Amino acid sequence: MRIPNRSLRRSSSADTEATVDDETGPAVRLENVRHEYGSTTGRFRSRSEQAVTALRDVSVDVKRGEVLGLEGPSGSGKSTILHAIAGLLVPTDGTVSVLGTDLTELSDRGRTRTRRRHVGIVFQRFHLLQSLSARANVALPLVQVGLPKSARRERATTLLSEVGLEDRVTHLPSELSGGERQRVAIARALSTDPDILVADEPTGELDTDTGADVLELLTDVGRDRAVIVASHDAATLAVADRVVTLRDGAVIEGER
Amino acid sequence: MSDERRGSAIDITGAKRRHRWRGLVGVSIARLWHRQTRTNSSRIRMAVVVVALTIALLVCISGIALALADGGAMQTDDADVTIAPEGSGSLSTVDGVESARLGETNERAAQIRSAEEVEHASPVLVEPTKFETPGGETRTILLVGVVPDDTPRTVAGLSTAGLEPGDSHYDGGSYAGPTERQLVLSSSAADRLEASAGDERTVSSGVIEAAVPSLTVADVNAAGAAGESDAPIALVHLSELQTFAGSSDDQLADRVLVWGETAAAESAAMDAYPDATVESTSGGDPSALFDDGLAFATSVVAVLIGVTICASFVATTMGMAVDRDRRTLAVLQTVGIPLSGRLVVVATATVVATLCGAVGGIVLGGLGIAAINAVAGATVASGTVAMAHPIFVPYALAIALVAGAIAVPYPLAIAAKTSVLSEVGR
Repeated sequence: MRIPNRSLRRSSSADTEATVDDETGPAVRLENVRHEYGSTTGRFRSRSEQAVTALRDVSVDVKRGEVLGLEGPSGSGKSTILHAIAGLLVPTDGTVSVLGTDLTELSDRGRTRTRRRHVGIVFQRFHLLQSLSARANVALPLVQVGLPKSARRERATTLLSEVGLEDRVTHLPSELSGGERQRVAIARALSTDPDILVADEPTGELDTDTGADVLELLTDVGRDRAVIVASHDAATLAVADRVVTLRDGAVIEGER
Repeated sequence: MSDERRGSAIDITGAKRRHRWRGLVGVSIARLWHRQTRTNSSRIRMAVVVVALTIALLVCISGIALALADGGAMQTDDADVTIAPEGSGSLSTVDGVESARLGETNERAAQIRSAEEVEHASPVLVEPTKFETPGGETRTILLVGVVPDDTPRTVAGLSTAGLEPGDSHYDGGSYAGPTERQLVLSSSAADRLEASAGDERTVSSGVIEAAVPSLTVADVNAAGAAGESDAPIALVHLSELQTFAGSSDDQLADRVLVWGETAAAESAAMDAYPDATVESTSGGDPSALFDDGLAFATSVVAVLIGVTICASFVATTMGMAVDRDRRTLAVLQTVGIPLSGRLVVVATATVVATLCGAVGGIVLGGLGIAAINAVAGATVASGTVAMAHPIFVPYALAIALVAGAIAVPYPLAIAAKTSVLSEVGR
């Protein structure tokens, strides 16, 4: 399922840093990515004593229409890869390219713009704003796009219908089940019609049946996008076209 | 790019910016409303309540300051020029609080009256006086002594038409002439004394000479009439009040009012009282605050205290609220809203909470002024101690906005330091 809204992609000339769209190459490319989480505590300790290496020379490509699974134990670096692809962190070394644009070369504002236009994020714990209705949550990314309220509402309503929540449009997150909340989160991730969808343990908070429904939805909406799913769960990873296994921040097994 | 296309692009960009701003403000207000109505979070509620109480206090103090500067209903008159003692801008209605007075007023008023193009001049003496009601209760009203002439004039918000013209008791300075014993009551004073035209009321305290123990109500000015006074005030002949109050020896009065051509009246007033303050009359005007040292100082202190308390409390509580709500800011970041947009959300919440408090404070302040007047009227004062004025509404909102603007940097700083990974990275 794809609900295109290419008008969302149009941009002014001032936005060029985030609008490079390489149709031929991989949607996402990580090259020799290394990342250390440095501690800000321990003022008199050296950085090397405090730093934790999260990723070690990770190189991964993800094509459009592909679902990539990331597996590995806690602390293996799955979430760090997702955050790097979403531009939420800049790796210590290496490059992270989204549609041909190297995120490590962009400012925080540029990465934010790229994320808004090209990357949708689905979290394990949904992270919906409790004070907003399902529709307002889905419309949230469109606020920064500058769409009028009526257009935001219309698009959000359409997306909620597509994920099977047409009768939950005005409900608050607290009035929804876990599966419904995750559907709202997926609809929100799709609101700007991104090319890339990253999902961090998307079924982690759901029961088996609900999780299966959400996975079906994810693969359905990800048909012509690049989808990267991080999970411990074998059932979740089963929907992936390809699975990369991580341990201690390094890829130990690929192309499964 | 042609000018037309460039203009069109600018229009589209401007429209997008407007929609973006509206959207962010909407998100902020929706969050604030939800937190106020559907959660147990007390921080923002506390900020609103404290701002409301502070603004209410500010409005009350400003009302008192305005009454001080304006002199309340006592200075509602239709005179063209007012002579007042130097540096005595504040005319209190509270018992026992007296400002400087003018001397030899009867003689000098007569001198002013004799000047060309001056229609009339009358000293005005104000004395809180206790009367007995028919039920035996003691009630305080303000007696205002004037010298009426044939033309009805407004003094202290009341028409002098009900008083016999002239001041027969003065009798060239002897204070031995016949007394008229007349009272012209405001409707409020009439209610307080339970009196109507023709009734007689007895003065129950003060330095009263036995020769004038009681006065007859000559007229009751309905509220909304000439001076529109709603304070408990009564007009009497000046010399009779001077006699009651023991002010006859020096012919004391609080002010001298002059009617006539303004320049001539001012000139005559300056000649009569070269060391006094002579000014064209302007009653009930908030700008009077700037002319009155005590009232102005009171207002400034009230503003400084109000802004300080509001800003401190709003900064602290909103800072705590933002700190507790970091996850929301992190979510906004993950969906592509940049730092500037997130700061708009926080700043809007801070300013809106402050303005909500201000609106509540204006209402509370209005009630507070009514309560102050009611309590003061029943105890120590016989007039309006605090005045409400429509300008208090924008004034209070402006003060709240200033306080909000001062408070905003702290919650913004907390918002700017929010780490998205530590909030949604799990």
